[in-house]
Amino acid sequence: MKIKILYIDDEVNNLTGFKASFRMDYNILIAHNTIQAHDLLIRNPDIRVIFCDQRMPDKTGVEFFKDIKNEFPYPIRILLTGYTDIEAVINSINHGNIFRYVQKPWSVADIIAAINEAHKFYMLNSMLSIKNGELKKAYIELDKFAHSVTHDMRRPLMGILGAIEVAQEIDDIGELKSMLNMMLESVKNLDGFIQSTHDYYNLKRGELKIEEIDFEELIKIEEKSLKSSIGEDIRFNANVQQEETFRCDKVSMNIILHNLLTNAFKYQKKGNEDKFVELDIKVATGMATICIKDNGIGIPENDINDIFDMFYRSASEEPGSGFGLYNVKDALLKLNGNIQVDSKIDIGSTFKVTIQNK
Amino acid sequence: MDGVKYNFIVVDDSKLDCFVAEKVIKHSGKALVVKSFLEPIKALEYIKRNEIFNTSKTIIILDIQMPVMTGHQFVEAFEQLSQEIQDRYIVYMISSSSNESDLNRIANYKSVRKFSNKPINKEMINGFLRDLK
Repeated sequence: MKIKILYIDDEVNNLTGFKASFRMDYNILIAHNTIQAHDLLIRNPDIRVIFCDQRMPDKTGVEFFKDIKNEFPYPIRILLTGYTDIEAVINSINHGNIFRYVQKPWSVADIIAAINEAHKFYMLNSMLSIKNGELKKAYIELDKFAHSVTHDMRRPLMGILGAIEVAQEIDDIGELKSMLNMMLESVKNLDGFIQSTHDYYNLKRGELKIEEIDFEELIKIEEKSLKSSIGEDIRFNANVQQEETFRCDKVSMNIILHNLLTNAFKYQKKGNEDKFVELDIKVATGMATICIKDNGIGIPENDINDIFDMFYRSASEEPGSGFGLYNVKDALLKLNGNIQVDSKIDIGSTFKVTIQNK
Repeated sequence: MDGVKYNFIVVDDSKLDCFVAEKVIKHSGKALVVKSFLEPIKALEYIKRNEIFNTSKTIIILDIQMPVMTGHQFVEAFEQLSQEIQDRYIVYMISSSSNESDLNRIANYKSVRKFSNKPINKEMINGFLRDLK
């Protein structure tokens, strides 16, 4: 991409001479007067360097640069002038209205040197403002994040605090025990939430570490922990068909499987005689396809588009952090993978994930 | 000590918080009927049915941060009910942390008497009861 340069001069010969000398290496726009120049600046926000003659009938170059400085802060302003105007030029440089000047008559080498220097400055400046914008955005996000997270962490703690105060006035052991059980649930939820924020940061900051994935092993660990923490009564079928070794980031793979399986186990219909979760993994032709199917409560149609949003929770029957599917989506984004959901209320949900072999 | 008693409805998605609230409320000696709901929708349906056990007012203790229907959404739906129903209730909102936008929103609800920070304990409930005099 050629650097876009605007040159303003009232003398047509100068304009054509300038364009002829530099059009091969740069994208040169020319203007006969400052009104035309202003118009070109509006239509070409990507102009990076402006050359302007000092002596023009409608306005001096110094005046023009002073006028446009606030409206177009990014292009680098260079004045072309003879020796006689040197005082006005120095003044203008000192006021920050122009970057530098090139003395007339100019040589091609003078102009190229000026463009190179100006462009370097332009890049630094605009990089800085882009980075500043990114920082500002990150700061606002962090602020929101900190607010939500502290809130969600305080919630179970406040519950436990209230319970401890009440427990001190209760003598019935049975009642105390049932309170302890509820407090235990709260502690587990809080721990789960902290684990999810940990996952969130691992995904945001962590580098991918590609290694061979042993699905059978992963499934065994998940099955054991899910059955003991959620329900022994859920029929779990896992089926792995692998034609080639699968290589992927293990941390991300864990997060994806763990959260999807946890949801499938958690959001089951109470009182259903035959609760089941089916996991199907196929690895073939450089692609892993993971299907997780349950016959649970399903997801309301209105919520389907929101379930991957941070802190979004579609069901209140079971405790959740609002982080799980967000983390799944984030992990898939990092792995360049894909996820599809098919769900019907009271029938169940199916999540289908595809990830390329790395 | 005056003998005015109230009915209570607790709306909070945390089982532990509902349990604690019920305990504290019953212990206050000012409660006739105490009901708690983990799902705001169910509480709203219950209020709509407008079952009358007694002539006493009902205090609603409402958590803000809940999935599916937040405390804010609950109040907005509640304020659509007939004035006759609304008049039988007094709403207090509670939360484990609050930001300015939460508090500003609450200030705009006619039906909400007051906001208080968790934990739910004697001081909170007694504060609400004192506030009614």
